[in-house]
Amino acid sequence: MVFYLVGLGLGGPKDVTVKGLEVIKSASRIYLEAYTSILSCGKDELEAFYGKPVTLADRDMVEQDSETLLADAKELDVAFLVIGDPFGATTHSDLILRAVDKNIPYKVVHNASIMNAIGCCGLQLYNFGETVSIVFWTDTWKPDSFYDKIESNLQRGLHTLCLLDIKVKEQSIENLMRGRKVYEPPRYMTANTACKQLLQVIDNKALNNIKTKLQPDSMCVALSRIGWDNQKIVASKLKDLVNCDIGPPLHSLVIAGEMHPLEEDFLAQFKLVAENSE
Amino acid sequence: MVNFTVDQIRQIMDKKENIRNMSVIAHVDHGKSTLTDSLVSKAGIIANSKAGEARFTDTRKDEQERCITIKSTAISMYYELGDADMKWIKQTSDGNGFLINLIDSPGHVDFSSEVTAALRVTDGALVVVDCVSGVCVQTETVLRQAIAEKIKPIVFMNKMDRALLELQLEEEDMYQTFQRIVENINVIIATYAEEDGPMGPIMVDPTVGTVGFGSGLHGWAFSLKQFAEMYAAKFKIDVDKLMKRLWGDNSFNAKTKKWTKTLSEGSVRGFNKFVLEPIFKVFKNIMNNEKDALKKLVEQINVKLKKEDWELEGKQLLKTFMRTWLPAGETLLQMITIHLPSPVTSQKYRCELLYEGPMDDKVAVAVKNCDPNGPLMMYISKMVPTSDKGRFYAFGRVFSGKVATGQKVRIMGANYVPGKKEDLYVKPIQRTILMMGRYIEAIEDVPCGNICGLVGVDSYLVKTGTLSTYDQAFNMKQMKFSVSPVVRVAVEAKNPQDLPKLVEGLKRLAKSDPMVQCLTEESGEHIVAGAGELHLEICLKDLEEDHACIPLKKSDPVVSYRETVSEESDIMCLSKSPNKHNRLYMKAAPMPDGLPEAIDEGDVNSKQEFKTRGRYLSDKFNYDVNEARKIWCFGPESTGPNLLIDCTKAVQYLHEIKDSVVAGFQWASKEGVVCEENLRGVRFNIHDVTLHADAIHRGGGQIIPTARRVMYASQLTAKPRLMEPVYLVEIQCPENAVGGIYGCLNRRRGHVFEESQNPGTPLFSVKAYLPVNESFGFTADLRSQTGGQAFPQAVFDHWQVMPGDPLEEGTKPYKIVMDTRKRKSIKEEIPTLDKYFDKL
Repeated sequence: MVFYLVGLGLGGPKDVTVKGLEVIKSASRIYLEAYTSILSCGKDELEAFYGKPVTLADRDMVEQDSETLLADAKELDVAFLVIGDPFGATTHSDLILRAVDKNIPYKVVHNASIMNAIGCCGLQLYNFGETVSIVFWTDTWKPDSFYDKIESNLQRGLHTLCLLDIKVKEQSIENLMRGRKVYEPPRYMTANTACKQLLQVIDNKALNNIKTKLQPDSMCVALSRIGWDNQKIVASKLKDLVNCDIGPPLHSLVIAGEMHPLEEDFLAQFKLVAENSE
Repeated sequence: MVNFTVDQIRQIMDKKENIRNMSVIAHVDHGKSTLTDSLVSKAGIIANSKAGEARFTDTRKDEQERCITIKSTAISMYYELGDADMKWIKQTSDGNGFLINLIDSPGHVDFSSEVTAALRVTDGALVVVDCVSGVCVQTETVLRQAIAEKIKPIVFMNKMDRALLELQLEEEDMYQTFQRIVENINVIIATYAEEDGPMGPIMVDPTVGTVGFGSGLHGWAFSLKQFAEMYAAKFKIDVDKLMKRLWGDNSFNAKTKKWTKTLSEGSVRGFNKFVLEPIFKVFKNIMNNEKDALKKLVEQINVKLKKEDWELEGKQLLKTFMRTWLPAGETLLQMITIHLPSPVTSQKYRCELLYEGPMDDKVAVAVKNCDPNGPLMMYISKMVPTSDKGRFYAFGRVFSGKVATGQKVRIMGANYVPGKKEDLYVKPIQRTILMMGRYIEAIEDVPCGNICGLVGVDSYLVKTGTLSTYDQAFNMKQMKFSVSPVVRVAVEAKNPQDLPKLVEGLKRLAKSDPMVQCLTEESGEHIVAGAGELHLEICLKDLEEDHACIPLKKSDPVVSYRETVSEESDIMCLSKSPNKHNRLYMKAAPMPDGLPEAIDEGDVNSKQEFKTRGRYLSDKFNYDVNEARKIWCFGPESTGPNLLIDCTKAVQYLHEIKDSVVAGFQWASKEGVVCEENLRGVRFNIHDVTLHADAIHRGGGQIIPTARRVMYASQLTAKPRLMEPVYLVEIQCPENAVGGIYGCLNRRRGHVFEESQNPGTPLFSVKAYLPVNESFGFTADLRSQTGGQAFPQAVFDHWQVMPGDPLEEGTKPYKIVMDTRKRKSIKEEIPTLDKYFDKL
C-alpha cells in the first residue's frame, strides 16, 4: 500500500491538515518522529485526538531500524508523522529512498514548517538566505562554520534563519562506547545561548583582526514556540538578546539583513520596550 | 644509629643544600638490602621514643621468607662529613651535617614499578652490582630508568668477598672484572643520557670516587679516595691526583719508585699494587691463620683491633678486621654526600622533566629554586598501607613550598587538566608525618627537598598525584613504567555474598601497588593485571589476606594481546553516518618497524611541536612530511602507538568533525575489531569525507560511531594480525645446566639469542626470548630441569606479531581470538566486513 509522511504543523494536535488526519485515521500503524522538534502537547494528547495508538520513533529507530518502520508497508498503510513539514528543516530523504528501494510507494502530506512560518516576524521570506543551525558548543568542540554562512548572507543583504540545537536522547561518549542505552537529559538551545555564541565568534574574529559584518549592534529577532498559542517574538540588537527571556523552548533566531521600510515597520511592534522609550 | 627528636630532625630539614635523596637500585640478589643495613646501622635516624625496638628494615613477613624486597622502604639517615672532606663537595653546602633519605627498592623485575616510584622522589642513585655476576638485565633497566628521570648514579661493586673466597680470583683478574663492569655501566649511561646534559658528567669513574668496592655482607667498602688518603702522605701527592694513579694503566715501579702512564716491564698496576695487594694479604693471612704476619700488617695499615677480636678466627676475624679497617658505612656515606646532588642542585635541571606546565610560571620557578617560601608543589609517588585497614599514607616528595598539617591544598589526580574541575579536590591535610622504615612520627610541616607522608589524602587519589597551593598549577608529570601489566588473572569471591568485600579489596590493592591494574570487564569479571607471575602472586596474596580478607577463586593467568595490521587496506573503506548524510573514507596501514617503540618511549609523542615531529617522522620513518604534519592524534588514551592522520585534500569544515573522529579513533584503537584488545602499530588515514551542509547533522552522535565503523572496516581489510608480549629472559647457571635450559625453552616456543660465559667465573649467562603466554610455571620447570641451578629473570621486552591469520579457522591466533571473545562475553563470531563497510 502506501508509506505516508504526514506533516503535523507547528502547534498542537489540531494543526494537522484535514487530509493528514484522514490518512492517520486510515493507517494501520502510526509513528511519530520525536527527535527533531517538539509539539506543544504530549503523545497522549495526540493519541486521544486521533483515537489510535501512536509509536514514538527515536533517532536510532529512524536511522538504523528502517526495517521495522517499513515492515509490511507493501500490504498496509503506514503513517510517519513529522512535526512541521516532512521536507522542512530535517528532511527524511534517506527514509524515503529506502522505501523506494523496497518498491513501497510513498505520499507526502505537507504542512507548515518553521521554514515558512518564520515569516510571522515580518521579514519577507524572499529575502532570506541560507538557513543555518547553531549547535551547542562543548569545551573542546566549538564549530563556527554557521557563522560563515550568516556572514555571506549579510554580504548580500539577506536575512538568516538560525535553527537552534536540540539534543534529545543523546548518549554521552562513554555510554556510546559502552553501548549503553543511557541518554542525557534533553537540552534545547535558547536564543540567548545562540546570541552568546555568536558574540563569542565575533570576539574571536576580532582577535584575529577579521572584520565582521555581524556586529553586537546588528538587528536580530528571537522567536519562541512559533505556531503555538503562546508564541513570542522579540526584536532587538544581538547584544541585548543575550539577556532577554522569551520563555520555554523551542527557540529560533533571525539575523536581519537589509530591511525594506515595511519590514522595519512590522518589526517595530516586537521591539524591546526599553529600547522603544529611548 | 643516631637518636634525634622530631624537632631536631625538623631543623636539619631546613638545610636544603645538605639533603641527599637517593635510592638504592640493582638487579635482584645483588645485595642491596644487606648493604642498606650496614648504612642504617651506621647512620639511621630513629626517634628517641623508638630506640631499642626491633630491627628497622623489617617490614613484610613474606619479604624475609622469600629473601627478596617487594616494597620499597624509605629510611632517613644523618651523617656528619669530616671538615677535611667538605672541600670535595662541588655544590653549595650548609654545615657538616647531612640528612640522607634513602629508599631501598626491590630488584626483581616484576616490582620495577616500585623502583620507578622511588626514583621519582630521589635525586641520586646508588647502583649496586654483584661483581661476580656483573651487569645484568635489571641493572640495565633500572639504570636506564634512573637516567631518564635525571637521577645521578654512583656505583658500588658488591660481593668482593665472594670473588676472593669462592672464585679465588687473581689481582689482575679482579681489576679486569671491575674495569669491565665500569665500562658496561658507562656504555649504558652513554646510550641513554645526552652528552653535555644539564646534570654534568654522569659517567661513573673510580678515579673521582663515584665507584665503590667492597662487601655489603661483611660490612666493608672503599673507594679509591680511602686508599689515596692512606698513601698521600707517603708519596707527597695530593689525594685527588693520587686517585687517578690508582686506576687504569698507571703503574708503579718498585725499584725506580717511579710512576708511569703505561704498563711496562718491572712495574705493577697502581690499583693492584696499592689497593688489591693489601686486601689480598689480609685475606690470605687470615684464611691461612697466619696471625703473626697479620699483626705486622695491622701496624702497617694502622688498624686498631680490640683485644677480644683477636680471639676470633677465619671468616669471623676477616669480617671484623675488614669492617674496622674499611667501614662500609663511612665510605658509602662519603660517596653519597660528596657525589650525589642536593635537591637544590638537582631540581634546577629536573624541573623541566617533572613539571607539565610552562617553565616560567610561579610553580616552575619555585621548583627550580627549591624555594620553601614559594607555592607548595608535592608529588605523591605511592601509597603505603597503614595499620588501619583500607587507609593509606600518601608518600611523596615536596618540590617547593612547605606541606603542613591542616594546610588546605589542591589535590590533583592523574586526569586533572588545569582550569577544569575533574579529578581535583581542595581539602586540608589531616596530618603530615615522617616515615622511617615502618614507624611514623607526626611532624608539624615539611619544607621542600624532603620526602614525607600525608594522612587523609588517600581517598582523593587513585595511585599518584600532585598537591599544590597555587591555583594555576599544572600536574607533575606522570611516571613512566618500564614494565607493563601484561599478565592478568580473573578473581571472584568463593562465597558470592562476599562480592562487596572483593570490590573494596580490589580498590585497596590498586592503591597499594604503583602498577597493578584492577578492572572490571563488561561481563562483570574482576581482573587483576600485573607485570609477571611473581608480581601477580604477591598482589593476589595481599588481596586475599590484607585487602579483601575473603577466600578467593583465581583463574589461570592469561596475557593481554594487541591487534595490528600487516598490510595497507586493499580497498578504500567507506562508512556512512546513521543519517546517511556524512561519509568517511579511510584506510589502515601498518607502521614502519620501530615507530610503535618510538612512541612508547616518547620519542614521538602527542605534545611535540607538529613540525619537529613531522621532520622526525619523515627523516626516520620515511613518512611524507605533509602527512606527518597532519597527525590528528595518538591512541588509545591519546598517547598509544597508533596514529590517525588526515590525508584529505581541501575538505571544507573537516576540522569541525575532528573531535568526533578522534573520539571514534580512541574507541577503535582501545577495542579492536578482532577481539577488543588494544591496537598497536596501526596508522589510520582519512582519505576523504563528505559532510552534511549543516553542523547540526554532523555532531558526535553521527560521526563517532561512523568513525569507529570505518576504522573497523579498514582494520579488517588490512590483513589483521595478533601480537603477543614476549619476555627477555636472562638465566645465569653453571655450564652443566645449560642443556636443560635449551630444552626447557624449546618446549615453550622460546629461543636463545645469546650465550656467554661471565669472564673470570664458571657461570654462563643465557639470554632468550620467551612468549609471556608460555612463561607460566617456567621458573619451576627450569629449576627442576637444571637441578635448581638456574634462576631466570624475565622482563617484558617487546610485542611480537603472531604468524597466522586470526580470522582463519584453525590457526593459533584464531583460537586465541575465540578464547578471548568468549572470556569477554562478546559475540563469538568475528564480525564480518559488511557490518562496517557501507556501499555507495
